[in-house]
Amino acid sequence: MRDDTLHEPGQALHVEDLTVSYGTAPALWDIDLDIPPGVMCAIVGPNGAGKSTLIKATLGLVRPVAGHVRFLGHEIGAMRGRIGYVPQRHSVDWDFPTTARDVVEMGLYRSLGWFRRPGRDARARAMDALAELGMQDYADRQISQLSGGQQQRVFLARALVQDAPILILDEPLAGVDASTEAIIIDLLKRLRDAGRTVIVVHHDLTTVQSYFDWMVMLNVRIIAQGPVRDVYTPENLRAAYGRQLAMIAVPEGGAV
Amino acid sequence: MLADLMASQIVRTVLVGAAMLGAISGMLGAFAVLRRQSLLGDALAHAALPGVCLGFLVAGARDLGSILAGAFLTGALAALAMMLITRTTRLKTDAALGIVLSVFFAVGVVLLTHVQATGGAASAGLASFLFGQAAAILASDLWIMGGIGLVVLGLVLALWKEFKLVSFDADFARAQGFPVTMLEAMLTIMVALAIVVGLQLVGVVLMVALLIAPAAAARQWTNRLGMMVALSALIGAGSGAAGALISATTRGLATGPVVVLVATAAVLVSLALAPGRGLVWQALSARRARARISDGRILAAMQELAEAHDDPRYPAEQGMLGAALGKAPAPGQFDALERRGLIRAVTHAPEPTPHWQLTEAGQRAARSEEDDKT
Repeated sequence: MRDDTLHEPGQALHVEDLTVSYGTAPALWDIDLDIPPGVMCAIVGPNGAGKSTLIKATLGLVRPVAGHVRFLGHEIGAMRGRIGYVPQRHSVDWDFPTTARDVVEMGLYRSLGWFRRPGRDARARAMDALAELGMQDYADRQISQLSGGQQQRVFLARALVQDAPILILDEPLAGVDASTEAIIIDLLKRLRDAGRTVIVVHHDLTTVQSYFDWMVMLNVRIIAQGPVRDVYTPENLRAAYGRQLAMIAVPEGGAV
Repeated sequence: MLADLMASQIVRTVLVGAAMLGAISGMLGAFAVLRRQSLLGDALAHAALPGVCLGFLVAGARDLGSILAGAFLTGALAALAMMLITRTTRLKTDAALGIVLSVFFAVGVVLLTHVQATGGAASAGLASFLFGQAAAILASDLWIMGGIGLVVLGLVLALWKEFKLVSFDADFARAQGFPVTMLEAMLTIMVALAIVVGLQLVGVVLMVALLIAPAAAARQWTNRLGMMVALSALIGAGSGAAGALISATTRGLATGPVVVLVATAAVLVSLALAPGRGLVWQALSARRARARISDGRILAAMQELAEAHDDPRYPAEQGMLGAALGKAPAPGQFDALERRGLIRAVTHAPEPTPHWQLTEAGQRAARSEEDDKT
């Protein structure tokens, strides 16, 4: 039986006590996290900090040993289909025999229900989503014939076509060209301005301040969370990244 | 001669059986190959051997029903063992596959030799499950195969988009709330069914070839999943039928291995000749691309060198142009460009090597080449 009472409905994402462990060392330790609706939030942290694990745990793809997760007050089971998920591009085989539009239509499979095939309406919606990302001319391309940036845009279109209030993206800017990065960020900002909540695992500290308005700094534990201007401080960066920080950006107007 | 062959009831039965088996395993093999699980089929097939022997022991006779049930059971057990090993230990899939395959097969061989030593005349035929014995197929078996084929086809059609999504991106499917574990289990169970159906004909050792080969061949010819699955079933059926006919023409040619050889031949032909992905096609198009790059890119490379040296008449050394282009153009190509008045040969003392210089026409051509690119 599902518990129908809402828990923390004011937060787009509410995470409490979340702990995930692979074997001996915890991958995530006692995560308490709140992301309000309508923000564009970066999840940053060094390699192995558990950024992808955090996303997968919130989506129920990884089983936590403790803690709970709510989206807009609901358990994930009640929010299926209302969260657009963009996995890491390298998580699938791009030589799969299918086209760009076909992949985007996969975002509609859930709403179609069992046994029904996507029809003209699904095709039109998929084309609209592709057009949002400047990919309409590549709809019938086999997906292995697309560049990395184009593949990433197809993945984003697949989440976009769901018209979901919450989008979760795992490293959408990793290894994409500059024009794709601009297109993706522009679209995400428009979605944010339209009231959607956008949560992005992000690896490039130099662009956090210009792209995002909310951020979560993670290194197995939560280091800091909140508006970017409050969280992006030398102290927090040092706490999250330690010695690695010498090689990455220092916040404007502050020495580390 | 074909008419003579077809007049034989046994040949007809084997032909239809091999074709149906090829179609079923081809259809399911397409999904197995795309999910990178083709070797799981191999483990399942080898793991069927102990089940065959156990089925014989339980029934006390060569009863096909209990033998196939036993084969299915130990195959399922092997799949379960695989899953447990990869989930609870640090072993990767390939190691788990190797362990499960060899352990189950070893148990099967031990059981087989034991049964044969003690089981009397009835057990003699069990060894045929190693490499298959097509002639043992009865007309009534065809109905079982046809029934299984229809069930599999119905399931694949009904759950088409779900199977497609799970095969392409299981994580996304799970995030969307699809019962991914159940869908994956269904695909695996169907593969196990296909293997059980194929045991009599092809045997446990070679069965996996009928799963992989048609799918691998089909993938070469199309970029659509639907077409690939249909083609794979067709190639499987064709290999089955052709193999059965070939083995019927000559005494002493075992049907199962011949079917596998025909399917493998289809793979080789597809790997070589398929448009787009075939080796011959790729070699030809690489050659065309090389020929096409030359003229325009030679001029552009010369222009680039000229700009870098701030000298429109910069004498570019032929070897240097080759290095700039990544591959040396044929010498005749420079001569052809000179005849068209785009470049001219110059000497650049003290170097004795050939050098080339852009003419005015050549500079214009190089600039338009650049405009085309941007």
